[in-house]
Amino acid sequence: MPTGVDLQEFVSGFLLEAEEHLHAVNRNLVAATEALARGRPEPRAVRELFRSLHTIKGLASMVGAEPIAELSHEMEGILRAADRAGGQVSERALDLLLQGTRALEERIHAISQRGIAAIPAAPRSLIDALALEQSAHARPGGGGAIELELPDELARNLAAADREQLAQAVESGRRAVVVEFQPSPERAARGLNIAAVRSRLAAIGELVKVVPRASTSAPTGIAFGLVLVTDADDAVLAEAVDSTPAAILPIRATRARAARAPEVIATDAEREPTSGPGAEPGAEPGIDPVPMDHSIRVDVRRLDDALERLSELVVTRFKLARIAGELGARGVDVRELTQTLAEHARQLKRLRAAITEARMIPLADLLQRLPLVVRGLTRDTHKSVDVSIHTGTAEVDKAVADRIFPAILHLVRNAVDHAIEPREERRRTGKPETGSLRIDCDDSSGTSLLLTVRDDGRGIDREAVARKLGEPVARSDDELLQQITRPGLSTREDVTRSSGRGMGMDIVRRVVEMLGGAMSLQTAAGQGTTFRLRVPVSVTIVDVFSFAAGDQVFVAPVAMVDEILEIEPSRLVEAPAPQRDGPVARLVQRRGTSIPLLTLTGVLGSAVIGSVPPKALVVQQDRGAIAFGVDRMLGQQEVVVRPLDDALVRVPGVTGATDLGDGRPTLVLDLLTLGATVLQAKAGGA
Amino acid sequence: MAEILVVDDSKVMREMLIACLRGQDDLAFAQASSGLEAIEQLSLRPFDLVLLDLNMPDIGGIEVVEFIRSQDRLRSVPIIIVTTRGDETSRERALSAGATRYLTKPFTPEVIQSEVAAALGHAAPRS
Repeated sequence: MPTGVDLQEFVSGFLLEAEEHLHAVNRNLVAATEALARGRPEPRAVRELFRSLHTIKGLASMVGAEPIAELSHEMEGILRAADRAGGQVSERALDLLLQGTRALEERIHAISQRGIAAIPAAPRSLIDALALEQSAHARPGGGGAIELELPDELARNLAAADREQLAQAVESGRRAVVVEFQPSPERAARGLNIAAVRSRLAAIGELVKVVPRASTSAPTGIAFGLVLVTDADDAVLAEAVDSTPAAILPIRATRARAARAPEVIATDAEREPTSGPGAEPGAEPGIDPVPMDHSIRVDVRRLDDALERLSELVVTRFKLARIAGELGARGVDVRELTQTLAEHARQLKRLRAAITEARMIPLADLLQRLPLVVRGLTRDTHKSVDVSIHTGTAEVDKAVADRIFPAILHLVRNAVDHAIEPREERRRTGKPETGSLRIDCDDSSGTSLLLTVRDDGRGIDREAVARKLGEPVARSDDELLQQITRPGLSTREDVTRSSGRGMGMDIVRRVVEMLGGAMSLQTAAGQGTTFRLRVPVSVTIVDVFSFAAGDQVFVAPVAMVDEILEIEPSRLVEAPAPQRDGPVARLVQRRGTSIPLLTLTGVLGSAVIGSVPPKALVVQQDRGAIAFGVDRMLGQQEVVVRPLDDALVRVPGVTGATDLGDGRPTLVLDLLTLGATVLQAKAGGA
Repeated sequence: MAEILVVDDSKVMREMLIACLRGQDDLAFAQASSGLEAIEQLSLRPFDLVLLDLNMPDIGGIEVVEFIRSQDRLRSVPIIIVTTRGDETSRERALSAGATRYLTKPFTPEVIQSEVAAALGHAAPRS
């Protein structure tokens, strides 16, 4: 039977889910690292790490991303061992997991950029190290056996990690309980299902385990026991499961350990005696809305699509305004129409803001993995670095986030590698042994973010920079910034592990400038360095073709181009009435009809070049297609479009300017408007 | 018309499974993103077949199988495990707990189609 199923169609879905899981992996690695520092295992983080990696592995194997499946498989092995040990992870294991996560991220990124075939192989040495660590970790046992007083069917379903979590909680004075939920068709119809109950309880406590069991009193004969650590009282818990406090059973836990006498921690003294057995579960209608996580995942391209649709609306609005203007000129009373149009314009503006807002992600999410990165960088060095991140509730457009994160990462790497001194050196110079790296964000302007990356290290060595460049020593921080962002400069001869790769300061500056932002530097010998990056909160990203016409490079949005036409000289027809100065030099045959072939240099006002262009971009207009001659197609890429603010350089048909990475402005052409202008001029002149 | 409950915590994986089976005649699908949701749905109405992942939050697939097989009402529903775990221990545990078949990811559309057809053919017709 022909299947007609291509699992490659699911690659983008895989990427979305994998990214979400990697996000969770980073978060849980932070939790596990903190737990290690506190000396208490974090079994829940270990479990979630395992699950995320397992899901990534399964999906990767389905879409043919073998290196990702292999890496996550080996990482999973370490976590399985850790889970059996009650959530204990060694420092070495955490380091390997961290490296593994970076390797996964690189490969996910490679797929999203260049497709599944472009994925690099899994790094052998890391795979071997992960495998070795699994066998090293194969020792069972956590912190002593834990006795839990539970109904049998619950007790046998709890794993070592669950027991550890319960024991830790009751030892620190919290309550451990089992809450029973009985599903029923009537409750399901109200949206009260196990998933909803689960998220309600997770909001008021730590969910340890959920166990299904047969129950004669339950409407369907089945009930769920939700094992939970919580500070909430019985009434609140009962309400969450649409029942009475009779549905709640406290758990006692004792840890049998030689050093400590067994003690009973939780008691059921606080149990409410008021619950009548006659209370029928599910009797009270009208429950509160289910507290759930209200976020959904959306492919950012869908939001881009929505923005695109919106621009079409804006065009229609301009047409309406023009018609209203014409009516007004003919003496029709259009006051009400004009008012409605103005209201419409405001609504469009608000709609635009709403869609733009949906693209925003919290900066805190973006930067959350920096402490892990720093931990990785300081491993095997004689340095300690304390990272603190203060972003508040600042948010940034996904497009800006994707571009600015590598720049921040580079500044952080530089600070750790070069600026912050080893412990011994810091002690000698009277500084605290642990260096400080602080990232702040100020979003008070509303339209831009001011990101500050500040270290208390040795400061930038002006003399060294000058020597390296063979230039005079910078007299100001601004001059120094110009020098260190010169392409290819590295102030260190011995390239350290992390500075040898990645991007240089020139790229940091390029990224900031591409976004239309600015950066500044402040540095003092022996005291530290501060970089300030000002970037817009959001930008317009457009997928464009870049091409050369005449001796200039232009870009035009891919969405506007109907076709890229190869021009065969035999298909060319000289225009019936050649205009000496006009841009329409010729017609070109396309699918049986002749369409005007314009030269861009002509359209934009320079002299028409006589030679025949080898290619043309065809755009489809209301009044037919138009071809724009192109000497060379250079490529396709996403660019940040900056509007041309200066009214003097504003030209119809030019949307804005962009930077293709060479530091020079390139014009972004609106070929539709350009074509319309030309044809109108022609019609007017004829 | 046979109704299949597809249980996996990954939405993409559920979509892949359903895409592989969609061309088959007379199949309808319901989805559950956890073992708990699966048990709940099974307790509320009957299904002809369950496709079940092993690694899921709260309770794993093997626990789900054990539970289903312990309930008189659910004992006979066929369960196909679809998992990334290829090891023998997991396979034996799942089968001895009462799973009907055990498939490992990655699977091809043909494999899942023939397994589902076989499982539905063997299953007692629903009353």
